[in-house]
Amino acid sequence: MTPAPSLLRTRSLSKRYGAVTALDGLDLDVPAGRVGLVGANGAGKTTLFRMMLGLSHPSAGSLEVCGLDVAADPIGVRSRLGYMPEHDCLPLDQSAADVVATFGELSGLPARAARQRASDVLDLVGLDEARFRPIGGFSTGMRQRAKLAQALVADPQLVLLDEPTAGLDPIGREEMLDLVARLGTFGISVLLATHLLDDVQQVCDHVVMLDGGKLVVSGATGALLERTGVLSVDVGAEREGLIERLVQQGLPAATEGGLVLVQVQGETDIDIVRDAVADLGLPLHRMSSRRTSLDDVFLDRASSG
Amino acid sequence: MTGAVYDRGYRPYEGDQGGRRAARSALFRASVRRALGLRRSWRQKVAPFTLLAIAVVPAIVNVGLSYVTRDSIASDIQLLTYREYVGVSNTLLVFVALTAPDIVCPDRRQRVLPLLFARPLVGVDYVLAKAGAMFAILFAFSFLPQVLLFVGQMLVSDSGALRYARDNAEVLWQVPVAVGALALYYATLGVAIASLSSRRIIAGASIIAVFLVSSIVSGVLVGAHDGYVSRPSAAALIDLLSLPLQLRDIVFLGHIGTDDPLSGIAHGGLYAGLVFVAVVLAAMVTLYVRYDEVER
Repeated sequence: MTPAPSLLRTRSLSKRYGAVTALDGLDLDVPAGRVGLVGANGAGKTTLFRMMLGLSHPSAGSLEVCGLDVAADPIGVRSRLGYMPEHDCLPLDQSAADVVATFGELSGLPARAARQRASDVLDLVGLDEARFRPIGGFSTGMRQRAKLAQALVADPQLVLLDEPTAGLDPIGREEMLDLVARLGTFGISVLLATHLLDDVQQVCDHVVMLDGGKLVVSGATGALLERTGVLSVDVGAEREGLIERLVQQGLPAATEGGLVLVQVQGETDIDIVRDAVADLGLPLHRMSSRRTSLDDVFLDRASSG
Repeated sequence: MTGAVYDRGYRPYEGDQGGRRAARSALFRASVRRALGLRRSWRQKVAPFTLLAIAVVPAIVNVGLSYVTRDSIASDIQLLTYREYVGVSNTLLVFVALTAPDIVCPDRRQRVLPLLFARPLVGVDYVLAKAGAMFAILFAFSFLPQVLLFVGQMLVSDSGALRYARDNAEVLWQVPVAVGALALYYATLGVAIASLSSRRIIAGASIIAVFLVSSIVSGVLVGAHDGYVSRPSAAALIDLLSLPLQLRDIVFLGHIGTDDPLSGIAHGGLYAGLVFVAVVLAAMVTLYVRYDEVER
């Protein structure tokens, strides 16, 4: 059995605009699923998207998307992709239903199927009641949903989302991330470009980090978020007594941000912490193993690279 | 609108999916709809359909007059010929100035282009779809009044419908060819000029200006007139407003009209044809370059 082709495969991929190098010798193998493309503004995320769509050509190297060489078959690649740009990009004087249906037809769907699909995906993104309103009257959150709907209308194999939570309020952001997380269950792979590491940590099972056009790290989110050997304990205000007891029992402990952080070696140490909290009669609000955040990984790898 | 996201499941699409041809055809249809104001507010429909109404008025008046004067000595009176009616279509310049910017400028101004080119489309597909849509509408708006005129005249003719059709059979090819040339000219040049700006008002004004300025400059260069007949001058070749009418005359008469400054120039018709082809090609090349860059 041959292995499934990578969602995205690059070899020595570079893109230069005059003296500016947007991407620099990128070697990537990204599996299907929900993948976060992380980096600061100018890291090369949008450039990579444009190259995946065949809208920008490599200065050097090669690029395969969904098993197809973009240089050799850009139309075939585009037929398999959905794209949600970061900026506003929809005609403002047409209804969401018309716009999404038109983009369905532009993706090759017959007119009747495109209208049916438009109705379905607008329903999916929560715009069913607003579908016949002009997009010009939409809020930022609704426009983001409409943009997502047009990206999904032709049932793409892979959808490219460029900063989908940009400009959204906290509730809108959570709803958008929830929707992105669910796309994976529909069999649609996601490449989510963002500079918000929390967004990636929340919904992606693979992370690609870029910095200044270079690859910082690429790997499974779970593998990158290693346990640190630090136990985080929330016992409310009575922290000093707990720290004193733990130090007496040979466990280094300190306070940080209203929590007690304890260096532990294994399950025995965790039992000691639990028993100390119980003996002191303290309320145990939360106790968890602290993991590295993607911010830690990014800062660590970027500085060492 | 609460903005809530409802989980109503997802159905994968398992039907047919076309490629470039289907995408180009879809963009053509969307552009025709946009130009005619279809699926848009009533205000967007006013200009195209008012213009169509104005374009058919001469045909209706002509047929009406023929009906009223049939069986009388005035029955031979004809307000306008098929050739002259093609000239009436020159008023479509106003329509082009209104519509060509509307079908290309918002794509750039509202940053829709990257989204369009994320579909199975390339620059040449975009150009063919947009210029094609403009051509189709211009052809229809110029040709339909001619059909109305021909059918109406046929029905009210003293000599009978078949006789009329037989006597005027040559217009059955002359009208579509002349109207097609006119539509091709205005469509390519109008859309090309409009593509140079992302603002509709500037694009529309530019279209009017290019035609009028070339006509004025040509008029000045042609110089003094002898009564109603212009002095022969090759400067008439730069008159972009007259060029499609010169082509019309070649189609209907086989030569440039006698009232045209080009008529006294040796091979004037050939030169007019060459300039016509050059203008259309230049417009197409401009469009190609303008939209090919999106893919770079």
